[in-house]
Amino acid sequence: MSAPAPAAAERTYDLNFARWVYRNVNGGDKLSMCMQCGVCSGSCPIGTQMDYGPRKLFMMIRAGMKEEVLSSNTMWNCTSCYRCVVRCPRGVPVTYILQDLASKAVEFGYAKKEDNTRFSKAFWWSAKTFGRTDERLVTAKYYFSFGLVAGIRKGLENLKIAFGMIRTGRMHLGAPHGIKDKKGLQAILKKAAEIEAREGAES
Amino acid sequence: MSGADQKAPGGKTKFTYYPGCSSQGSGKHLDESLRAIAPKIGIELEELDDWNCCGASVGHIGGGVLPNTALTGRNLANAQKQGPQDVVTGCAACYLNTHAGNEKIKSDVKMRRRVNEALSAADLSYDEDLQVRHMCEVIVNDVGVEKIREQVTNPLTGLKVAGYVGCQTVRPFASTDGGGQYDTYEDPKFLDDFAEACGAEAVPFDPKTSCCGGSVSVMSPDRTLHLIKEILQAAKDAEADVISTPCPLCQTNVEMYQDAINKKFGTDFNIPVVFYSQLMAVAFGMDPHKDASLQRNTIRSKKMEDMGKK
Repeated sequence: MSAPAPAAAERTYDLNFARWVYRNVNGGDKLSMCMQCGVCSGSCPIGTQMDYGPRKLFMMIRAGMKEEVLSSNTMWNCTSCYRCVVRCPRGVPVTYILQDLASKAVEFGYAKKEDNTRFSKAFWWSAKTFGRTDERLVTAKYYFSFGLVAGIRKGLENLKIAFGMIRTGRMHLGAPHGIKDKKGLQAILKKAAEIEAREGAES
Repeated sequence: MSGADQKAPGGKTKFTYYPGCSSQGSGKHLDESLRAIAPKIGIELEELDDWNCCGASVGHIGGGVLPNTALTGRNLANAQKQGPQDVVTGCAACYLNTHAGNEKIKSDVKMRRRVNEALSAADLSYDEDLQVRHMCEVIVNDVGVEKIREQVTNPLTGLKVAGYVGCQTVRPFASTDGGGQYDTYEDPKFLDDFAEACGAEAVPFDPKTSCCGGSVSVMSPDRTLHLIKEILQAAKDAEADVISTPCPLCQTNVEMYQDAINKKFGTDFNIPVVFYSQLMAVAFGMDPHKDASLQRNTIRSKKMEDMGKK
């Protein structure tokens, strides 16, 4: 696997990019089946908020527009509703491809601050540290990743929701819920990351 | 469906139950009501030992594809120790990730090797042929709607229910062999069938499989409040008393953002969003608090609570 290098100043076309995506992105091997019908973009609940819908993004991959693809907000707006996956007449696993393009955008330094990378980081931190998602801590960590003031402001905006959750017992106030064998889980995740670094993500 | 004879003593079918992270937080009422109704419909739930997070919609971004799949591998390795019975979960994301991961591990020898190499770091392995199933699929295919009807002692007569299925409960697996063939992913009927079996009235509800924004609604509700508004508006237009859903994230998103939506769009929504299992618990004449967990809804359904008192 050869990683695409971060952006040069000028718009460049990387004619190997499509091949790289086919080989290295989860589900990318099916991308060559895309016939540009646009059912995916038309089915997307928040496609209008994406820089490019999936159809256009896939055409841009073919055109070698690596910079634009990996720095687009398309993947970050995907809600994982899988509407495109079940409707695609060519069996392209659109959601999976967008999800892994998001991972690659982080890995190669294209993901921008306003993207939702902070949330993914907070989420994974909780899964890795406790073995479970602590909704309170993930939310707090995410809010405060924008800075102390922004974190407090976001917290205050959602105070009523938080109180509602506490009142109904859906947000507890004690220590985080966690698994018993945290060390074992962390060893597994560490090993998995090593294997992925050694062999690449695509199996 | 099941890969093994799962009949436990007393005629109940035994499952390894994977509650998922939301069961200890925002989706507590799904877990509590499921555990309450399970014995009534012939299901024995044995909790998966030391279960971990499934990775949900963003785990692969923070952790990578293989570490994310290894989360599922660890759960399945622990499930394997508990026996060959099917694994069942009530959570849409847990089902999607665990089912998809399981099928990938089983069908792809390279993935199986990689996951097992990772699992060996904690002296675990997964080499069996377990099935991972959604509770709704089990109710449709194994239990049968008729069985629900038989258990109803307190029919929810006059309760208008908008059945909001959401996404990941049916997509992408509901109409696949591997996903149990329990309904369609465009126009599923099972949730309406559940409500009607409970004696309620299922109102016509077009956005039944529309997206609530999922985790994007948690991160950036400004991008997705209009999606939830459409769901609420359709329920209101259909004069629904409650929205019913199987998904813990849909339940929380559609419930907790109603104030923000009212503020942003000048609407006046105040519609309770409940789980199908809460409907069943009330219809089965069970305790409205202990079993149906109605007190855990931030927007409470007075109508359901009154019905529960009967």
